[in-house]
Amino acid sequence: MVNFTIDEIRGLMDKPANIRNMSVIAHVDHGKSTLTDSLVQRAGIISAAKAGEARFTDTRQDEQDRGITIKSTAISLYAQLPEGEDVNEIPQKVDGNDFLINLIDSPGHVDFSSEVTAALRVTDGALVVVDCVEGVCVQTETVLRQALTERIKPVVVINKVDRTLLELQVSKEDLYQTFARTIESVNVIIATYFDKALGDVQVYPDKGTVAFGSGLHGWAFTVRQFAVKYAKKFGVDKNKMMERLWGDNYFNPKTKKWTKSGTHDGKPLERAFNQFILDPIFKVFNAVMNFKKDEIDTLLTKLDIKLASNETELEGKQLLKTVMRKFLPAADALLEMMVIHLPSPVTAQRYRMETLYEGPHDDEAAIGIRDCDPKGTLMLYVSKMVPTSDRGRFYAFGRVFSGTVRSGLKVRIQGPNYTPGRKEDLFVKSIQRTILMMGRYIEPIDDVPAGNILGLVGVDQFLLKSGTLTTLETAHNMKVMKFSVSPVVQRSVEVKNAQDLPKLVEGLKRLSKSDPCVLTSISESGEHIVAGAGELHLEICLKDLEEDHAGVPLRISDPVVQYRESVNGESSMTALSKSPNKHNRLYVTAQPLGEEVSQDIEQGKINPRDDFKARARILADEHGWDVTDARKIWCFGPDTTGANLLVDQTKAVQYLNEIKDSFVSGFQWATKEGPIAEEPMRAVRFNVMDVTLHADAIHRGGGQIIPTARRALYAATLLADPGLLEPVFLVEIQVPEQAMGGIYGVLTRRRGHVFSEEQRPGTPLFNVKAYLPVNESFGFSSDLRAATAGQAFPQSVFDHWQLLPGGSPLDPSSKPGQVVQEMRKRKGIKVEVPGYENYYDKL
Amino acid sequence: MLYLVGLGLADESDITVKGLEVVKKAARVYLEAYTSILLVDKEKLEAYYGRPVIIADREMVESSSDEILADADKVDVAFLVVGDPFGATTHTDLVLRARELHISTQTVPNASIMSGIGATGLQLYNFGQTVSMVFFTENWKPSSWYDRVLENRNIGLHTLVLLDIKVKEPSLEMMARGKIVYESPRYMTVAQCASQMLEIEEDRKQGAYGPDSLAVGAARVGAPNQRLAAGTLKQLAETDLGQPLHSLVLLGSRVHDLERDYIREFAVDVAVFDEVWKRDYEGKQ
Repeated sequence: MVNFTIDEIRGLMDKPANIRNMSVIAHVDHGKSTLTDSLVQRAGIISAAKAGEARFTDTRQDEQDRGITIKSTAISLYAQLPEGEDVNEIPQKVDGNDFLINLIDSPGHVDFSSEVTAALRVTDGALVVVDCVEGVCVQTETVLRQALTERIKPVVVINKVDRTLLELQVSKEDLYQTFARTIESVNVIIATYFDKALGDVQVYPDKGTVAFGSGLHGWAFTVRQFAVKYAKKFGVDKNKMMERLWGDNYFNPKTKKWTKSGTHDGKPLERAFNQFILDPIFKVFNAVMNFKKDEIDTLLTKLDIKLASNETELEGKQLLKTVMRKFLPAADALLEMMVIHLPSPVTAQRYRMETLYEGPHDDEAAIGIRDCDPKGTLMLYVSKMVPTSDRGRFYAFGRVFSGTVRSGLKVRIQGPNYTPGRKEDLFVKSIQRTILMMGRYIEPIDDVPAGNILGLVGVDQFLLKSGTLTTLETAHNMKVMKFSVSPVVQRSVEVKNAQDLPKLVEGLKRLSKSDPCVLTSISESGEHIVAGAGELHLEICLKDLEEDHAGVPLRISDPVVQYRESVNGESSMTALSKSPNKHNRLYVTAQPLGEEVSQDIEQGKINPRDDFKARARILADEHGWDVTDARKIWCFGPDTTGANLLVDQTKAVQYLNEIKDSFVSGFQWATKEGPIAEEPMRAVRFNVMDVTLHADAIHRGGGQIIPTARRALYAATLLADPGLLEPVFLVEIQVPEQAMGGIYGVLTRRRGHVFSEEQRPGTPLFNVKAYLPVNESFGFSSDLRAATAGQAFPQSVFDHWQLLPGGSPLDPSSKPGQVVQEMRKRKGIKVEVPGYENYYDKL
Repeated sequence: MLYLVGLGLADESDITVKGLEVVKKAARVYLEAYTSILLVDKEKLEAYYGRPVIIADREMVESSSDEILADADKVDVAFLVVGDPFGATTHTDLVLRARELHISTQTVPNASIMSGIGATGLQLYNFGQTVSMVFFTENWKPSSWYDRVLENRNIGLHTLVLLDIKVKEPSLEMMARGKIVYESPRYMTVAQCASQMLEIEEDRKQGAYGPDSLAVGAARVGAPNQRLAAGTLKQLAETDLGQPLHSLVLLGSRVHDLERDYIREFAVDVAVFDEVWKRDYEGKQ
């Protein structure tokens, strides 16, 4: 039975103060989907017996089979808080005690973190799940960082506590220390990314922002819950009780007094947390797992737990699960924590507006977002596309930040490349239908006001992956999402039967829509290429392509790596190219842009859409640029956002602004396909030194300037000691001490190196971090498993670009030279790299 | 020897007698077909000359001039240019390259729009700098010609505006993606030129001209179906002069009564013409 109706949900949508939009984020296998089940079960969507096993939000068959989440899935839940004290405690405006919780379960595997990015964009709070045994892992840190940069407030749940109790048999104090350490490492990360607008968002058990529990068994608790119980019993203030139940606080049973010191008369005292919270839990575990029937009964009466008749027969783990679930239901603890501590859209949009909106912060759209105004102008962000049962069609999944969206409403659909005042990447269409996303089901709904998450039908034809929907003609875009992963691994695909080709082309289009991160393209030689974040991501994408999107048998090549072309020095002389009609001459030099600037561009800290004066300030203050140069950046490239810059350094040239657009087009073209192997360029700064132009515009149109600009840029690159950059993974491996040796061997063979090695306190596990070139990473997991008898589990995520060592890529006998030749052969272009003379014209 | 032969303005028979002799005895004959076009097609030319002609598009002239110049030191090569060979600056480059290869050149002049525009009845003495008008795109609207027009207008001279043609131009959008795809041919009309001029005036607001400034549109000058139209820029922006090629003359203020008498004949609307003339042009020096 479902505990709520669509009408109830629709009613709550009008009370944005009572909405909580939140995502569940964590490292892979820390139990997000399992925990989410407890909440879904509370809403009555799945039966209590199945909770913890069903993984309701893993909607795809392969998600169920592999036991990992691949796509983020949204579900709307209805929650009620007991009236009175609990509701009063919420530190923001509320409207009654009914709450609507829009929850998005996201994947934990690094390869799919673009899904997390898409989920975070539409939520205001995050439930960070941390495995009690494994602690904070690489992906915990990544997603937490992503959340904080999006100004999303975290609360933490420490999961799999049952494992520590059953498998590791730790003592109460050890468990407390484990908890404290884990919370400490979460807080270290949070403190690193401190944001003034968001305030201090570190988590504290004594403030109620940390829960402990077991998703598998369906139980969890917060210190606050126990504080409420004991506050009544002891007759003290609940807040005081909360402080006492965590940290160095002890209750001396002899003096009946609270103290801060852990000893009395030389004898150790038991920590309050251990005594009042862990003790009952330990007792239940002990009694049930050791089959002490009598003890169980007394405990049950004491804890006021009644078992149904068919449950009394259970024993062992089954009984434990039932008892714990009745004693400390996970949904209660989590819902309470989320409702009390996570911000409502009204609260959150006030401080999130400036990070969400590209336009001026005082225009109509910005004010609508800031106030979460359902009557304001419509501002809706589509963060991803969700496949429908109708093959080839998608629901656009997003959030209304301002205004109200309804079926039939005519909206402006602005893609990521839209600029106000232009017509590119813009459609004006009507919304066909608005729907509510309920895990594997959808529910139609008439309209959706600001602050809510929804699905849209009919928008998929006009947006590739994401975009902004608005009713305001002058509205700018909502900020485009920055992904923490890049599609660095690619494979080419071809059809087995030639007549299936149209299906493949169509399938590639669908694949590209269905995943926020995957890239599909057609190479010069007619190859169809699919690029993904890692081996697993690519594998899933190709499986989808073959079985679903295209539905035809495919031949898939071995994975290959994308390289970047760059320069190591300044051009040895100014490159000159003449236009085909010889009446225009362009003079260009190239120089390294610098790793820091490049990274800032890639992370969006230096943005092509920033105000040029503000951007110049950053470049001058932080990167030592000349301010005048920094103000004359013509553009970023490739795709107008990449980490290469075109800088105008000419002095008083007539007609220069009339060729700027053509020059920029040539720059985009050149940086997208560099001169060495037609790979994209990276970290190159091009300076336009001088130009000589024909007086008449007809002789310096695009046809004359675009190819000339490209040639000049190529010549400048080849004259500046060009180099090849390869992508490098950061690999994190958890491994027991005795298997460590195997790791080093495998890494060394693959040009990898370890840079950090830490033991997790209290466990025999080591956390090894290493850099590994992506090119050497294929088959790494299985190699590693073989070398460590299956005891090492690696997680790889793209980290940085590094120069491919071994000489110049222009020298065919060096290693980079061979890589280049192979690439050129694969792409079907002349094997030798053309020299700069091909692009350089003599005076 | 490289011969640059002017073909004149309209059809195959506009070639000069000297030019025709060169064409008949040359080893190879190239027809440059992108700065301007004849109003007849290649087959008709070949029939008239009695020999095959090779079409040279922009790419060939600009990028593979070696092919055109091959052996030109030993045999005669004719390079046919519609109008006059040096009517525009474009072909000086070919001559320079020939000079580098020690190939001697000879030019056979012919009529060009620069002189043919006299058909409008406007006195060639009173023309200022010539400008050309390119097809505007959404984000490329070069307007440096406006300064030249302004200079001409300040000293009362007419301005001849040559109109862009795109016979076989690569699409810029595709070019920026690294592919060469040719667009279908386009020829600018007087109407389009007039409206682009008004668009730029709107933008610059320096008063070089306005919607009520008089201009003469000329189509297919030198051909039997030549057509002229005189009127304000606003009127011309809505006048269809038919098939290409078109040119436009913006009147200067230093006009002679004879010029008026001549162009009044082509006025789109005589009443408007007279009114504007009386108000803005008569007696102004």
